Amino acid sequence: MKENDVLITGMGVICAAGSNLEEALTSLSVGKRNAGQVSLFETPLKYPVFEVKEIPGEFDLAGRRSLSLTLCAVCEALSMARLPADLSELRVGVCLGTTVASQLNGRQFYESYRRTGSASMLAVDRYLKGNLAEFISRRVRACGPYMTVVNACSSGSDAIGAASSWIKNGLCDIAIAGGADELSRISLSGFGSLGIVSPELCAPFDGNRKGLNLGEGAGVLVLESKSSAAKRGSATELYLAGYGSASDAYHLTAPRPDGLGLELSIKKALLASGIKPDAISFVNAHGTGTLDNDKVEGAVLESLFGKNIKFLSTKGFTGHTLGAAGGIEAVFTVAGLQEGWIPASAGFRNADQTLPIAPVRKKTIINGRYALSTSLAFGVSNAALVFAKSTN
Amino acid sequence: MNILGIGIVFARGSGINCYENALREGWQHPAEVNVSQAKDRRSSVYQVDLDRVKDKNLWKRLRRADKFSKMAVLAAASAVTNSAVLDIDKKRLGVIVASAFGPQVTTFDFLDGLLDYGEANVSPTIFSNSVHNAATSYVAEVLGVHGPCLTITQFQFSFQTALLMARVWLDEGRCDYCLVGAVDQYGEVLGYIQNHKLSLAKDGRIKPFNFKPTYQVPGEGSVFFLVSRNKTANVFCEIEHICFGKNGEDNNVTADLNIIDADGTLADESAYLSAISPEIPTAAYAPLFGSLMIGSAFNCTAGALMLKNQVYYKNPVTDNPQGINLLQDQGSSGIERISCIRYNCNAEAAVIHLKCV
Amino acid sequence: MSDNEAQELVEIRKKLKTMLVENLSLEDVNPDDIKADEPLFGEGLGLDSLDAVEIVVMLQRNFGLEVKDMNKGREIFYSIDTLAKYVYDHTKASPES
Repeated sequence: MKENDVLITGMGVICAAGSNLEEALTSLSVGKRNAGQVSLFETPLKYPVFEVKEIPGEFDLAGRRSLSLTLCAVCEALSMARLPADLSELRVGVCLGTTVASQLNGRQFYESYRRTGSASMLAVDRYLKGNLAEFISRRVRACGPYMTVVNACSSGSDAIGAASSWIKNGLCDIAIAGGADELSRISLSGFGSLGIVSPELCAPFDGNRKGLNLGEGAGVLVLESKSSAAKRGSATELYLAGYGSASDAYHLTAPRPDGLGLELSIKKALLASGIKPDAISFVNAHGTGTLDNDKVEGAVLESLFGKNIKFLSTKGFTGHTLGAAGGIEAVFTVAGLQEGWIPASAGFRNADQTLPIAPVRKKTIINGRYALSTSLAFGVSNAALVFAKSTN
Repeated sequence: MNILGIGIVFARGSGINCYENALREGWQHPAEVNVSQAKDRRSSVYQVDLDRVKDKNLWKRLRRADKFSKMAVLAAASAVTNSAVLDIDKKRLGVIVASAFGPQVTTFDFLDGLLDYGEANVSPTIFSNSVHNAATSYVAEVLGVHGPCLTITQFQFSFQTALLMARVWLDEGRCDYCLVGAVDQYGEVLGYIQNHKLSLAKDGRIKPFNFKPTYQVPGEGSVFFLVSRNKTANVFCEIEHICFGKNGEDNNVTADLNIIDADGTLADESAYLSAISPEIPTAAYAPLFGSLMIGSAFNCTAGALMLKNQVYYKNPVTDNPQGINLLQDQGSSGIERISCIRYNCNAEAAVIHLKCV
Repeated sequence: MSDNEAQELVEIRKKLKTMLVENLSLEDVNPDDIKADEPLFGEGLGLDSLDAVEIVVMLQRNFGLEVKDMNKGREIFYSIDTLAKYVYDHTKASPES
């Protein structure tokens, strides 16, 4: 571990696989995939989705689903970190990624405005008071920096990367970092129109993959400087070793065919971690299950890590949770290192003959110290996070 | 961190020279726009006319981009041109785009499609443009950026937060140059909300020194800075500190001028009074570009120009019921430091300290 | 091909060209300048994957046609000619079938 590495002292997650880390890991372990038709709103769209079945009552802020999901994951993470619910005495930053929670997209509000020229301000007030990082920062009375990252599908990873920079640069001692998104009508119809939503359960890296399934949830890490953790008497072997991000400069919706941005982002994260590719014990890939994503990502992973790299996509358990994905997958990656196993890559059955590598088919023991989580965003960003477990 | 180049798009046109002219010329009446749903059907807005600021070469590469993204790309590209830095390694160039509302007009366009044609029949292009990092994506694509890219959407201090991130990236060596900017767009629905929550200036004049009650005229546009640790002959100024805190508690830098972001986007802007000093003159330029949550970027641009040109630009609107020490004349003298101050609705401040280089 | 069919195809082609220019924001393109047999994607008009899915929506909204299989779409969307033929074949009421 390097002197200024950022520790991970807490984790929290809520997604279709479970309402907390333990529940979710159980689903991952036994290969349970909790997908079904949309129940949150009426829609003619018949795609399977990964909804969160139950948000624990104390976190359920009526009508503000993304915030409820975030709060649930934040509280789990704070509790694991043995931090109080009121953080005003500490130097805490809040850095969260999202897509839906940043949009004023109330259908009823807009329908009413369009029809009558006026609309209830309820949806507007919720929106104005519901900016993710602003809301959570106030809720936990954090007094450090806050930032809502909207880098589309890499939002969660980039938020974690940015928060680690804050700590390294002394802007705060502790950061609540991750991502959250609720399942929304807008995302579902929008992704549907792009022709990349699968009519069946998603099958990342499979030869017969037909697209992604949408999901929802939140995944949050508590990042902390060594000195702050030591002062609180908090011990952990887990830390964030490196973060890299790079742009494709290619297209609004399609990943760059040569994967240049992804490759650059992984190389930067490895360099920051001070390790060679062969130190990576497994990769939690973005693996959405779309033709293009998995093709580009598979090729880049093979070129950097070779044919035998152990990798998986956890989106077969969560769906693509958009702004939350980077957060949730960071939690699963760290949990993989901590627990010493990763689940079978859900949905994968038949190898893609055009891909040089294939994900793990069964629950796999992990002995290594380093793991990589990648995110590819719609449009621009590629993000890579290297997590680690210290030996001492 | 130095500002090497500035690109700007606002109601009167595009380019830093156009903004400098506006600072010299002073206040102009905002345009009246039709609002299909409003009762009186007309509203004052400092609106950007895309046809007027059109850049043929850029537009060719932005055929499906919406106005939000076009304003951002135009400002970002012109910041690079303005800097006259020619040898930027695009792998070492980052982009950070801040916004309060994101491309909300396009979100409503998308909802129009959804309501008119059904959920199975929406436009993928409009959807893609409504994703909040679309503008960043276009900037990266058009300028060939391979460094880190970040999009921030938040109501409070989004531009200041973006500057802070740019500084962190430069300090960490994530990039050598960073295009850091802000963009927001006027839309009929947003205008409706603004008129509902705040008071529209009936006479079209934003009175930044009124503090309470306040009057706003919605604005739109984009500002980008090219920032770097490097210094060039064209450098505008240094961004010395970016401070956040209750009542700007970290703000113990003495400036030659305080620029305040008061613009009527808060119903009560009395908090600014605590940052105002009888010894230091105060200025506010919102009446030139409109009331905007990201107005800080435009005011900061005025500060950067003053430090570069060593010229003060007079306040465009000088109503001063509190009798504070306003910057009166357009004059020049040794301007060393300028502080750009913004308050939020919780009376917390964010201050950008600019320094002459 | 009957005269009637030929005439209708001319009309559909014209309509499609205008629709493409409008829906895909082909700002500098004059609908009449699009050659009926030139490829719409890649080298020809230079459309891309996002345009392809936009054309799917355009066909749905304007002709009530659903193209679900994008592999088929590739053939159908090859040129204005192939697109017009598809629209003609699938919108033509054919009592004999």
